[in-house]
Amino acid sequence: MRTYRKPVAAFLACLMLMLCSCAFAESEPVTINFWHHYSAQSAENETLMNVLIPAFEAENPGIRVNAVSHEWAELHDKVLVSANSNALPDVARCDIAWLPEFQKMGILVALDEEMPDFAQVSGQLLDSAMSTAVIGGHYYALALNTNSKIVFYNTAMLEAAGVAVPETMDEWCEALRKLSGENANGQQIWGWNEPALAGWNICPFIWSFGGSLTNAEQTVASGYINSPATVRAVETFAALVQEGCITGFNAGDIPMTDGFGTGRYAMMLEGPWKSAELAGAYPDVAYGTAPIPAGEGGSVSVLGGEDIAMFSTAHKEAAWKFMQFMTSEFAETEMAKCGQIPVNKAALESDTVKGADYAPFIAAIETAKARPTVAAWSEMDNDLTVAMTAIVTGEKTAQEALDELAAQWDILLK
Amino acid sequence: MIPKSRVHRAQLALLLLPGLLVFALFTVYPILRLFWMSLCDMSFSSMLSQPFAGLSNYREIFQDQTFWIVFVNSMAYTLITVPGQMVLGLLLAVLLSGIRRFSVTFRVLNYMPVVTSWVIASLVFRYIFNTEGLLNYFLWKVLGVTSSNIRWLDSRWGGLSVAMILGVWKGIGWNMVIFLAALQQVSKDLYEAAEIDGCGGWGKFLHVTLPGIRGTILFVLIELTIGGFNVFTSIKMITGGRPAHQTDTLLTWMYYKAFSTGKFGYAAALSFVMALTLALLAIVQFRMMRSRDA
Amino acid sequence: MKRLRLSRLRGALVRYVLLGAATAVFTLPMLYMISTSLRPNGALYEYPPRFFPRIEALTLENYDYILHQSKFYLNFLNSVLVSVSTVALAAAIASAMAFVLGKFPSRGTRLLFAFIIVTMIIPGTTMIVPQFELATRLSLVNRLWGLIPFYVAWVIPFSTFMIKGFMENIPGEIMDAAWMDGASVLKVYFRIALPLASPAIASVSIFNFLTAWEEYPWANTVINDNSRRTLPIAIAGFFGQHQFTQWGYVFAMSVLTLIPVVLIFILCQRFFVQGLTAGSVKG
Repeated sequence: MRTYRKPVAAFLACLMLMLCSCAFAESEPVTINFWHHYSAQSAENETLMNVLIPAFEAENPGIRVNAVSHEWAELHDKVLVSANSNALPDVARCDIAWLPEFQKMGILVALDEEMPDFAQVSGQLLDSAMSTAVIGGHYYALALNTNSKIVFYNTAMLEAAGVAVPETMDEWCEALRKLSGENANGQQIWGWNEPALAGWNICPFIWSFGGSLTNAEQTVASGYINSPATVRAVETFAALVQEGCITGFNAGDIPMTDGFGTGRYAMMLEGPWKSAELAGAYPDVAYGTAPIPAGEGGSVSVLGGEDIAMFSTAHKEAAWKFMQFMTSEFAETEMAKCGQIPVNKAALESDTVKGADYAPFIAAIETAKARPTVAAWSEMDNDLTVAMTAIVTGEKTAQEALDELAAQWDILLK
Repeated sequence: MIPKSRVHRAQLALLLLPGLLVFALFTVYPILRLFWMSLCDMSFSSMLSQPFAGLSNYREIFQDQTFWIVFVNSMAYTLITVPGQMVLGLLLAVLLSGIRRFSVTFRVLNYMPVVTSWVIASLVFRYIFNTEGLLNYFLWKVLGVTSSNIRWLDSRWGGLSVAMILGVWKGIGWNMVIFLAALQQVSKDLYEAAEIDGCGGWGKFLHVTLPGIRGTILFVLIELTIGGFNVFTSIKMITGGRPAHQTDTLLTWMYYKAFSTGKFGYAAALSFVMALTLALLAIVQFRMMRSRDA
Repeated sequence: MKRLRLSRLRGALVRYVLLGAATAVFTLPMLYMISTSLRPNGALYEYPPRFFPRIEALTLENYDYILHQSKFYLNFLNSVLVSVSTVALAAAIASAMAFVLGKFPSRGTRLLFAFIIVTMIIPGTTMIVPQFELATRLSLVNRLWGLIPFYVAWVIPFSTFMIKGFMENIPGEIMDAAWMDGASVLKVYFRIALPLASPAIASVSIFNFLTAWEEYPWANTVINDNSRRTLPIAIAGFFGQHQFTQWGYVFAMSVLTLIPVVLIFILCQRFFVQGLTAGSVKG
């Protein structure tokens, strides 16, 4: 009995080895994980799941795409945590504000170095949009879509209050005061909705009032985030909050789309996706759009948009194919139908996009500014929210809170 | 009587082994790691390489204004919800022990909130308490006890009180069932003796019932205190810490520090502070109940 | 005599009124949830708000969406898998531990038991940071298997504590008789202790099922893929999206999630009470 054991074991080991090597030799379909923050019940997500991914998988039979949706803030956190747990996705759709931070952690692939046909692919996309992916002279992503925010106003509410669409910040303040109050049911109504107090929300006001966040080199915040113009912008905003003209950032508030759709918020600053969302949830509400009112700094909105980036642990070949597909004319045209402004030059020329009237957004993009492109932005953004909260609740004066914020930011920017 | 052969010993060890393994790997090891991590400087980019940093995380915690806010929040949550649940749970148990019909129906219905998951219960409460929600409408337009919508969720104490109301609402049933069982263990003779001594209903409760269920009270007190410090999901769902971390509790703040900012060392130190606080509270509660015994 | 009966009647009345009021407070939020899940999303901000939906506006469209457009079945299956595995593993492990700790008292076992009890002071979520690191090292991130061992570890102390109390009450004579017959430890455990302790194990298991079924923080931290999410994360995900919340979907999914739990609870409520009280009353 004993004598047989070794040969049997050896035979079994050989068998195992063969099985294993067979499994490897056969080209297993590669699954790439794609993380994004298209919201789960949105038109974008339906397009992604029902149009784009099936089309991509049909074109590339060896590749499967596992799309995972996260909430915006959660996606950022999940990427950071996953970087340490070897659970990074292959590809992710990233807010342009996150790239410097991800790059600094060393989890992004420098595409211009690794992909031989990079120049050809990126040549199909707008240079201005591709510039959001450059860090230290290298490209770490492909531009996926661009956007900015403009004013959406409820036509009926403005008419009822006898208010013209505000063109300057002074008119804006006045309009908000007139629009706020009570409706026929005795319910409170607000002139303006602002769903959060982060950089994405506050920056347009700071910039339009002529204020700024940092110096041009993004190395110092003192003298910029607490400059007289910034303080004035924030004070004006806080005063309107305290007068009951602005709301939306509180936990108990009516969500933005619902409040706008049911005539409780007269105006809001939102991106191109809002039209599709309103058409789906509140098709009856009549609204118009306008650029953000101009102040001393002009009419300056915030530059938004997403890039599609590859992580260092990715199946690079398949991931690159998927990234090319997502930025192709076909995919960008499909996404344009649900409010994502393309950055693919050919898609921008297509009839769908021309018909979709992105003109006001594209005009806003031309004067919009980007949030600071520094690795510490997420932390700075959180500090800004805390400071703004203290200001609008009257806990601190704008000057006090912004002075403190400037000191905090100076350290983070070093 | 118990046999002591080697086979028996081996079999005993075999029965203990799986439990010990799971316990050692998933409970004891994390506790030890927690302590070590609290002494390290960790960030997202260096989670797995951990330079020793001494007590700097602890120093940072005690200098952090937000820590004191969330510490007070957790304390307040515990100090209010624990007695709230116990008193109301005991009251229901006493009421329930004195009726004959429908007692099972009442018990089952009152226990429903306990089996409802935290995620669901929190969302329901958020929906009811939102500024435009049903409760405000009811208070203002139907009962007329308020003259405007109360902004329950928008302030520190508003948001916390909704979480506390939820905590009490969800916990009463558990207290009720446990106290109900304890009440049935109290000897009937004692009540009769007290009656002969001229005790009224209230006197009987104070002199017979309460001493009779003292052990249960201690058990419930410690369990609920642990639960109070463990509050997480309701805060995350109801306010998400808004405004600006003012409604965060120890756990939600710890979670934010770890998984949103990558300060794992700080988070570990915070967990350790929390565990020590709980241990201290448990000892104090134990002592108090003991000394009353003597 | 008559007065005594009258006052007793009044006492009973007061009891029923108070209990009825309490029951209303406990059940109304749940009824409101069900009622909201039955109306179209557009009706959520109607004025005045109503507790009961208008009959003509009643709709099952939210349920239709959850059952046909979302990954509800997958999430449900994941939750069942995780909960059942947790229950089975915890029952096996904890009952074996309880048997040894309860029936073979020695300095070692007493010390071990005390140690297990002391760790109960630290709630599971407190250790989420080192546990996440451990999950990372064991490659358990984004896997259902990453949930189960942690849940088992969380419920074992309490389960052991409860089952041990029950084991101790098994009369010594029964076991002594078995020893005389020359039975082995394993045989006594499987043939005598386990059957006799089964009510305690059952009630502990219901408790553990609930714990695993509703667990949120850990699952939300470890699981990424939509198809691997358990029900609580799926519900929270529905809620967290974007600037408007489709409460109808959220609550329809919540109702569907609650149904099995409520069924189990009502069917097993006797075990439930026994189990809860066995551990506490002795205390």
